[in-house]
Amino acid sequence: MEPRKKLLIIDDDPDFVDGIKAILIKEDYEVDAAYNPKDGFKALETKPYDLLLLDIMMGRGAEGVMLARKMRKDPKLREMPVLIITGIREQIAFLFPGQPVHPHFLPIDELVEKPVEPQLLLEKVSTLLRMAEERKVETK
Amino acid sequence: MDDKFKVLIIDDEEVVLDSCSQILENDDYQIATAMDGSLGLKLVEEYQPDLVFVDLKMPGISGFEVLEKIRETDQTIVTIVITGYATVSSAVEAMKSGAYDFLPKPFTPDEFRLITKRGAEKRRLVLETIALRKEKELLREHFAAIVSHELKTPLAAVQQNLFVLAMELSDQLTEDQRKRFERIQSRIGDLVKLIHTWLRVMSVDVEKIRAEFKPTLVSKAITKAIESVQPQAVRKDIEILASIEESIQPVYGDEGIIVEALVNIIGNAVKYSRAGSRVDVKVEGKEDDVLITVMDTGVGISKEDLPFIFEDFYMGKTGQQVERGSGLGLAITRRIVEAHHGSICVDSELGKGSTFIIRLPALKPNISNQPSLTETLAKP
Repeated sequence: MEPRKKLLIIDDDPDFVDGIKAILIKEDYEVDAAYNPKDGFKALETKPYDLLLLDIMMGRGAEGVMLARKMRKDPKLREMPVLIITGIREQIAFLFPGQPVHPHFLPIDELVEKPVEPQLLLEKVSTLLRMAEERKVETK
Repeated sequence: MDDKFKVLIIDDEEVVLDSCSQILENDDYQIATAMDGSLGLKLVEEYQPDLVFVDLKMPGISGFEVLEKIRETDQTIVTIVITGYATVSSAVEAMKSGAYDFLPKPFTPDEFRLITKRGAEKRRLVLETIALRKEKELLREHFAAIVSHELKTPLAAVQQNLFVLAMELSDQLTEDQRKRFERIQSRIGDLVKLIHTWLRVMSVDVEKIRAEFKPTLVSKAITKAIESVQPQAVRKDIEILASIEESIQPVYGDEGIIVEALVNIIGNAVKYSRAGSRVDVKVEGKEDDVLITVMDTGVGISKEDLPFIFEDFYMGKTGQQVERGSGLGLAITRRIVEAHHGSICVDSELGKGSTFIIRLPALKPNISNQPSLTETLAKP
């Protein structure tokens, strides 16, 4: 049997995190949460995760975007699949004018809007995990 | 050093330059001097003064020309002309074309200090005004984005948890409970939609809104708007009477946004009406326009408030305190109507009621047919 997949959620809204966590735990994922980018990055560096769920609009602006950029520079972390969660689609367009709505911060990422329906969330998570798996096989 | 208030004096008389420098020496000014106009203008660029004294009568470039050039470089620089008593009239001319004050020669140190101080104050006010105006503009542009983010964040948490609850309780809820649950979800969904509308309308990008325009029936928008306001009306025992002329031309617009505007107007009519009264909604074609009239016999708007009601964040200062709003409803409505190349006006009397008239340009029959035709053809 496959070991349980470990997921990390970085989002500054604990209530929202609870709403996401419950769905994922029910599907038998192991889920940790960090409530700010700093703790989140520390967690990423200290524990191996299979997937990250990242809120890009944290704190006073796009702190999540900053975190994604930091991950991109890290040779190990840049391979991690990321599900980007955003409050407002328009704000992404606002931050990255002229770019398509999904900005692709990292090699393997997907975008969902808050709130996210349980079915959609689970689909995106499993798709991302599979994509990361296939990528690993390819590069070996 | 850089924070010091910078004064530049342009005068061909060395004695004036020297004495002026001396007078201000002990005060908190940084002083530069120039013997003629061209040198002075060079310093305006390099030194970036806050205040410039310009002698009107100089060899070479005239004082007037110097003033003109300074204004072209930076309109916020405060200029004061130096002039002899005999030529006060030219000082007046200079002030007419933008100089802030004049200093008649000969002058006492006190006079010079006073005029400099006044000039410095003026400059400070000018800069402050510009900063405030910029801030206001920025706030207006980002207000919607900030507010809607602040509003959407808690709503998203609520929605997310409702999703989870619905999932977890799916086999335990009675049919009745399940329906109530759905209603909660849909009401919150409405709220989110409303915030989106605000964002769209307030963030001024009219072009983006217009990109989604298509032929739209006002009558349909009216029906939807009335439906949405009806619960409030029923609670206050107010009858909303709609009379919609048949065969009205469609307008070019966005139904959702038009509904929003109408909900604001009809909602206000209900809000400010007395219990048991009536609100009339009329739609008619007039020449090339579609006219929407919303009439109530409620509290009305005072003459003092009337000119401002379509401005952002305006809440009536006078009159009744019955209801409080965000002060945004009518401003948003105005923007929506203007985005549709229409106009909105109001006629009101305190205590007697208000009549709002929205005028939207109607589509010409041949134009309206084409897009709707391609639309139906495109559907499978």
